[in-house]
Amino acid sequence: MYGYLVRRLMQFAVVLFLGSIAVWAFVLLLPGDPATVLIGADASAAELAATRARMGLDEPFLAQYGVWLGHAVSGDLGLSYYSGEPVLTELMARIPATVQLAGFTLVLTLLIAVPVGIVVALRPYSAVGRLLQGYLTIGLAVPAFWFGLLLIIVLAVQLRWLPASSDFVPLWQDPGAALTSTILPAVAIAVHTSSVTARFLANSLGEVMGKDYIRTARAKGVPEREVIRRHAVRNAALPTVTVVGLQLGSFLGGTVVIEAVFNYPGIGRLLYTAIGERDYALVQGGVLFVVATFLLLNLLVDVAYGVLDPRIRLT
Amino acid sequence: MVRDDVAHSGTMPVRPALSVRNLVVEFATPAGVVRAVDGMSYEVYCGETLSVVGETGSGKSVSVLAALGLLQTANLRRVSGEVVLDGVDLLTLPQVELRRRLGRDVAMIFQDAISALNPVQRVGDQIAEGLRVHDRALTADAARERVVELLEMVGVPHPRARYDQYPHQFSGGMCQRVMIAMAIANRPKVLIADEPTTALDVSVQAQILDVLRLAREETGAGVVLITHDLGVVAETADRVAVTYGGRIVETGDVTSIFTRPRHPYTAALMRSLPRLDSTAERLLPIPGQPPDLSEIPPGCAFAPRCPTSRGREVCVQTRPELRADDAGNGASACHFPDEVAAPGAPPPSTESAEPSSGEAAGPSSGEAAVPDAEVPDAEVPDAEVPVLEVGDAVSRFPVRSGVFARASAWVHAVDGVSLRIPPGGTLGLVGESGCGKTTLARLVLRLVDASGGRILVEGDDVGRASRSGLRRIRRRAQMVFQDPNGSLNPRLTVGDNVAEPLRLQRLPRARRREEVRELFSRVGLREEHLDRFPAEFSGGQRQRVAIARALASRPRLLILDEPVSALDVSVQAQVLNLLADLQEESGMAYLFVSHDLSVVRQVADQVAVMYLGKIVESGPVARVYDDPRHPYTRSLLASVPVPDPVGRETRRRVPLGGDVPSPVDPPSGCRFRTRCPIAVARCAEEEPVLREVAGGHTACHFADESGRVSV
Repeated sequence: MYGYLVRRLMQFAVVLFLGSIAVWAFVLLLPGDPATVLIGADASAAELAATRARMGLDEPFLAQYGVWLGHAVSGDLGLSYYSGEPVLTELMARIPATVQLAGFTLVLTLLIAVPVGIVVALRPYSAVGRLLQGYLTIGLAVPAFWFGLLLIIVLAVQLRWLPASSDFVPLWQDPGAALTSTILPAVAIAVHTSSVTARFLANSLGEVMGKDYIRTARAKGVPEREVIRRHAVRNAALPTVTVVGLQLGSFLGGTVVIEAVFNYPGIGRLLYTAIGERDYALVQGGVLFVVATFLLLNLLVDVAYGVLDPRIRLT
Repeated sequence: MVRDDVAHSGTMPVRPALSVRNLVVEFATPAGVVRAVDGMSYEVYCGETLSVVGETGSGKSVSVLAALGLLQTANLRRVSGEVVLDGVDLLTLPQVELRRRLGRDVAMIFQDAISALNPVQRVGDQIAEGLRVHDRALTADAARERVVELLEMVGVPHPRARYDQYPHQFSGGMCQRVMIAMAIANRPKVLIADEPTTALDVSVQAQILDVLRLAREETGAGVVLITHDLGVVAETADRVAVTYGGRIVETGDVTSIFTRPRHPYTAALMRSLPRLDSTAERLLPIPGQPPDLSEIPPGCAFAPRCPTSRGREVCVQTRPELRADDAGNGASACHFPDEVAAPGAPPPSTESAEPSSGEAAGPSSGEAAVPDAEVPDAEVPDAEVPVLEVGDAVSRFPVRSGVFARASAWVHAVDGVSLRIPPGGTLGLVGESGCGKTTLARLVLRLVDASGGRILVEGDDVGRASRSGLRRIRRRAQMVFQDPNGSLNPRLTVGDNVAEPLRLQRLPRARRREEVRELFSRVGLREEHLDRFPAEFSGGQRQRVAIARALASRPRLLILDEPVSALDVSVQAQVLNLLADLQEESGMAYLFVSHDLSVVRQVADQVAVMYLGKIVESGPVARVYDDPRHPYTRSLLASVPVPDPVGRETRRRVPLGGDVPSPVDPPSGCRFRTRCPIAVARCAEEEPVLREVAGGHTACHFADESGRVSV
């Protein structure tokens, strides 16, 4: 287990390094010169050259990357071209909002997906089962942003129950306000993700129910409820954990469209704006954060596998 | 309500522990309603073993699963009849009530114990769950103590430490012991074992049968043993019920079933069995295929294959009922039970070919290779050049671990093996699972790269062959795999499957079709079936298709990796005879890999016994089977259940203890010494070499003292 973790962490470092090259190089491919963006298109050639020199843009690419990486490792992701604030500060300001939304969405997703998945797997032809299968189909088909707009129109604009655009209220300051400000975007996302998760869970649960060890448990005289709870669900959880991990990664990476729709001040909206403003330093820093989050979650998923399934331990 | 039918069978004046009456189980399938169990009745009394024996699809397993409400497939249409346990009909009980009795009054032991245990739960907890679910007052600590006792009883070493391990840390045999511990935990009145030893090696099978016997004595339960293995039946059963086509066709005590069968199916089944103790020149298979349950004929289900019926009207028209014989200790569902008793029935016709095995006496007497006109590859090999020569072959696999996944250890799957097969000869390669026999077979075609040694197919070095050279070698040496379901492409018709090698040789379409037709008739398949898909065939027919495909490139060597292990006994004999005929016709050489010693004795003229990657004994069949000099060979032979109940009490069987050690870290000196009954200090220090002993080769320090111990 220990060796496994060390090896995985080293892999993590290598992939992150390769990812940083991709993130950095990708900005070079974009049209437009950051210096022009910074000082305006009508600046003189001399001014432009001076700015480029100040930003290090006249150095060779490799040197630029070296400098950037050196700074990045020590936590200095540069200054936002637009606000002049350090990129790290900008990111840190938005991370709590995104983490809170992601957490809410994850909880909602699991709260819906687990019972729905179990019922759909075990009672597919009952009235409730059919109803829930309908929910899954709709949840899979309807895009989150469209559902989000619907929620805004009905609940915020017409009924005026909840605010249409959400400011970030930290949970630890005012749980009630935090809930009302986050609930709409969370629901909008969770309807889709819970459908995906429930479908996965239902599939693997259906498969597990046909396994020999389920028959063994029944033959021991274990009541059906406990057969499902103790023997089936844990085995069926494995493939589902992968999906949930990936989903959580995408929540944390910023649900760009949803944050834009709800005007929610998270990483997603930050990136969205930064791209529009060609704030390359901010884009680089933000994407690097997203990449790191994804990698870290992947690692967590693999560790969770080991915890859930004793066969995967050790190596 | 069912109390007064005591002494139903007349011999046991007590109420049966479990009685199944007129059980019918039906499934809805696309082909219509299938009646998998068609009015079965049997009962088992406390302390006795009833063996329900039959082939795949005869309804033997389905009957008990349905009886206990464990059949939960969506297409189950009907379960009717009575299953009486303790005066209560289980089929009428609601699920909650039924579950209260399962595991307490009646317990099951399943086939393939590794998958029957929950992979993510500790083994001990799984047994404890069975205790606590029926006794809610039992504390966790008390349950743990009881489980440790149970594990000890069934022979799991270090039960305290083993309690906290997971099923994947147990061997197959150990898992089966755990299953048995789980089953006897609540001292049930009835134990039902469904093919409990089928996936296990013979040495482990013998151990498990002993544990089952112990479990019966310990609990006094009535045991229902479901199996397809007549050897297991003869070794363990008191009474036998033979099933065919969803019905019981014969019942009786074990001795009369084996000595005086009164149903032609039972008799034919016995005749089709390859025997360890005799060399029949040719097996007598049951012709035809097992019945298709979706279209059972109105008469006797066995009539189309029956040697006694001879097409008599009554057999085809009227279904025979199970009738007790005059003595009252058996019953047969045959219109002519008395005609069966005389086993002089003529062997099935159409099979007049001379036997191909059996004449092997000397070490190199297999050269039956008649230069063959059919071989197109002009150069007929010199009889001096063996078809296969393996010299010191080694195959290692790394075991990776640590931070950098370095190979920290090596598994020596094959560790210095040499063999030689002359043209037309058959070498049987036997050994238990994990001994490296399949890896060796794959090395020959370079499906696995050898780590050392030399492999020559008709003089061509497989290891050094170029891409095209290897292709040419693979054309001359073909492989038939164990599982014909997995080895045939399900999306291609059987004809296209067989034509695949011909297509690779760029044969024109019309010629291909013609060749495939010819191949089909050679392996006994009907040409009309060319365009069907593999799923439409039974296991035996599919294996014929796989053999036809292997024959397509006219190989000189056929590597058969457990070719009949997945087949039923009656069909197995057909395939073995087919292989003998094909060899006779074409002079092909066979490398026949199997764990089944009886089958190998039937087909091979030379045998090699493998243990942990090495050959421990080899030689002509008669030498190895009748005068085994290696203690491993002797134990293996002694572990095989003999299909003859007469004298089973006096047969002393000392099963090999323990499991095969890990090939990562094999024992020093002689690899077998950890399980060897005659090992001494020298065996740990000095590795015995394979040397010539009594006309064969044996790797044991004590090979010369054949009478030293009789295992």
